[in-house]
Amino acid sequence: MQEVKIRDKFFKEIENVCHPNETLIKTHCAYCGMQCGMNLRVNTKTNKIIGVEPRYDWPVTVGKMCPKGVTAYQQTNHPDRILKPLIRDDASLKGTQEGFREATWEEAYDLIAKKFSELQANYGKDTLSVFSGVSMTNEKCYLTGKFARVALQTRYIDYNGRFCMSSAAGGFLRSFGVDRGSTLPWTDIHETDCLFIAGSNTAECHPTSMFRVWHVQERGGYLIVADPRETPIARRADVHLDLRPGTDLALANGILNLLIENGYADEEFIKNHTNGFEETKELVKEFTPEYTSQITGVAPEKIIRAAEIYGKAPNAVVMFARGIEQQHKGVDNVSGYTNMALVTGKIGRPKAGVATFTGQGNGQGGREHGQKSDLLPGYRKITNPKHVEEVCKVWGITPEEMPQPGVSAYEMFELMEEKTIRGLYLLCSNPAVSAPNQNFVRKALKGLDFMVCADFYLSESAEFADVILPTVTWSEDEGTVTNLEGRIIKINKAQEPLGESKPDWQIQAELAEKLGRGKYFSHLKTARDVADEFRLASKGGYADYYGATWDKIDEQDGVFWPCKDEDDPGTPHMFLDKKFYHPDGKAKICALPYRPPAEEPDGEFPLRLTTGRVVFHYLSGNQTRRIQFLRDMCPEPYVEVHPETAAKYNIEHEEYVRLFTRRGEAEYKVKITEAIRKDTVFVPYHFGHEKSINLLTIAALDPMSRMPEFKACAAQIEKLDMKKVQ
Amino acid sequence: MKKRLYLELENCIGCRSCLAACTQCGGHEQRNRNYVYDVNPLVNRQTMPLMCLHCVNPACARSCPAQAIQIHETGAVLSALVEKCIGCQNCTIACPYGIPKFDTEQNLMYKCDLCIDRSKDGIPPMCASVCPSNTLQWLTDEEIEAKQKHFTLDNGKWVTSMPYLEGDTNVKVNLPGILQGVTKLF
Repeated sequence: MQEVKIRDKFFKEIENVCHPNETLIKTHCAYCGMQCGMNLRVNTKTNKIIGVEPRYDWPVTVGKMCPKGVTAYQQTNHPDRILKPLIRDDASLKGTQEGFREATWEEAYDLIAKKFSELQANYGKDTLSVFSGVSMTNEKCYLTGKFARVALQTRYIDYNGRFCMSSAAGGFLRSFGVDRGSTLPWTDIHETDCLFIAGSNTAECHPTSMFRVWHVQERGGYLIVADPRETPIARRADVHLDLRPGTDLALANGILNLLIENGYADEEFIKNHTNGFEETKELVKEFTPEYTSQITGVAPEKIIRAAEIYGKAPNAVVMFARGIEQQHKGVDNVSGYTNMALVTGKIGRPKAGVATFTGQGNGQGGREHGQKSDLLPGYRKITNPKHVEEVCKVWGITPEEMPQPGVSAYEMFELMEEKTIRGLYLLCSNPAVSAPNQNFVRKALKGLDFMVCADFYLSESAEFADVILPTVTWSEDEGTVTNLEGRIIKINKAQEPLGESKPDWQIQAELAEKLGRGKYFSHLKTARDVADEFRLASKGGYADYYGATWDKIDEQDGVFWPCKDEDDPGTPHMFLDKKFYHPDGKAKICALPYRPPAEEPDGEFPLRLTTGRVVFHYLSGNQTRRIQFLRDMCPEPYVEVHPETAAKYNIEHEEYVRLFTRRGEAEYKVKITEAIRKDTVFVPYHFGHEKSINLLTIAALDPMSRMPEFKACAAQIEKLDMKKVQ
Repeated sequence: MKKRLYLELENCIGCRSCLAACTQCGGHEQRNRNYVYDVNPLVNRQTMPLMCLHCVNPACARSCPAQAIQIHETGAVLSALVEKCIGCQNCTIACPYGIPKFDTEQNLMYKCDLCIDRSKDGIPPMCASVCPSNTLQWLTDEEIEAKQKHFTLDNGKWVTSMPYLEGDTNVKVNLPGILQGVTKLF
């Protein structure tokens, strides 16, 4: 049996400070996949959340928090909270914040039921759609899938993980036959000998991983970082592979070729536990350091050095994030880098493996339990009759009633545009900022016959809604979340819902009643009721949560899935028995021909545009842009330009320029820095309206994961004020 | 066991979590008392925190005509006593690191007190509690000594506290470039 409670060298027994008239509620952060442990300070007289206190006893993050985490509590009682349902009668005001009036829940539910029923009567069940997100508990994610298929009876449900984790999921499923974001717990990371990190601005996007990353170097281990920018983690790397955006697969193939050529392949492991090696070996032969350098722009010596370090390392972990995944070959990039671990056998044991830095808080759990267009709870497939039957038993419907698979997130906007979809129930997401090719997406949203948005703030996407339903923040509900390790953890309720806001699971159960589907939902009175049904629905699936009871999560500091029954402590390390999840028990080494980005620079658009995050904001910024401290630190987006490139365009630091692509344009303040490639510009994506970089990005989708290529497209800069130059 | 604030400058990732956390200390009235600087913003992403070093013989306290800046028995140099501070701003000029801040509305100086409500009981101050990169650590003298043995710089020095600074400090600061003394595993 594996050790269940992990206490590593960073763990210290520290007593918390609890002020008079205050109590501390143990929970986790609202934001990213790190899910840092925190205590919320609650005033015992007002019963309101008033602050944060570190949670030193959380083994993954030992009290550490980034500035988003420290200020996360300020969301709950924020003046921008929506406290009552809002209805907008004048549809001509769609796309603005104007025209909303307060309403009762009863009136809002009645209107939604009437409009949804009318639309379905006129255009069929599939005219409705659900667009969801994964910054919420497993219980909510699970119920949203059921709500779409059982209450709305539509095939069209998908979620914002298509802009986040779907490429990682696709790559892991192909390579391992199972999609758990990390093959090992985070408490192993600082003990490995080499970290190979590709396309992750770890210091800004997952800052509380950094003390473990630095410790590898402090021990004399190595850090290799592949990124077009010299990010704060790349600055200290032993080797910084400063590649052109969108060329990761060539780099992965080039390194694999060197690993094989220089004798680092583990032939015993390859023979016993993998398929596809010979074919892959042939394919990567072409990727000599020189050829790889031509494609990627990385010096051959750096590629050779990186391969040598990774090859020699007794233990190594390959890690990656959206940088490699948000490409139209994101799945291939994931499998390409995963090949490094499979060929060298550096996987399936402690301190060695593969991990992706999950973006959203529940990016892992939220993709496993049926919010994806083709998935059902427990990572079951909606196209597999046996899987459908298993879920139908729990839901109380017949297999004939189960809708067909739908389409991916971005493709839903295409169906809205062509009026196949006329109604939308949006929750936990802000696609009017986060989706690519915004001019098209906003037009699609505006053209909907009827749109509902459930959110706790009036987001840019809510501006397109007819009805807004006030939901609670993470701190006003309870449930489980699965962090980036695959560890199921517990979010606790610290305060009663503000105003008339309600948790999403409750809204969906009540709305189901209004839609005449109450018998499938009426037994769900509490979050725990939903949790019990959800665990049962996942039972027997790949992502089996049945044994992960809330008590066990509390006792063990979380439970790693799979966890099949009450006696199963869970699975911190995957594949320790060298058994992978493909039917023959072997992993797949993938032969992956290189493809360039969908849009390469040319004379008209000579620059490569890439996008990403800053440490002060989370995703579309709907939450973090309202927090004073975070707004003060980063009030607006900017475009990072190399000084030599800036000189060519005759632009200066802090000057505003027009940045444009074939799809759109925006004006940004210039930030000059040598920490970026000369052929590349970077803009953070957390901002809305006319400042959204997604007005410019391309909707070239990965053929498997349907992930848009946020990370690479062709762009051009134009000086705004020609007079200023003279 | 006495613990100290210890800064490993090379680790800083510029996240400003220490600034956000400073406001969360119960005694800080939601105002942060520390600084993070971009070292060379047009060139790279290097950043560094600037924290009160809690000098053994602090210039701020020496310069105060009203004895408003007290030194706690732990060595922490406290924020000005509200009832004594006359708002002369001598301390802000005297401090070689520019640490004390001045509230013009209240005519009052305020500075890092090492979260005295926490640190007096051995609990790490908020900044060191949350620091995601271990730039700010809360260590015993033995742990700091072990660091000193592990890291050696080519100039033979390992902390900036002496002789470069004003005098001996309770907070220990490690110089950037600390990794150059580390022996690689392979």
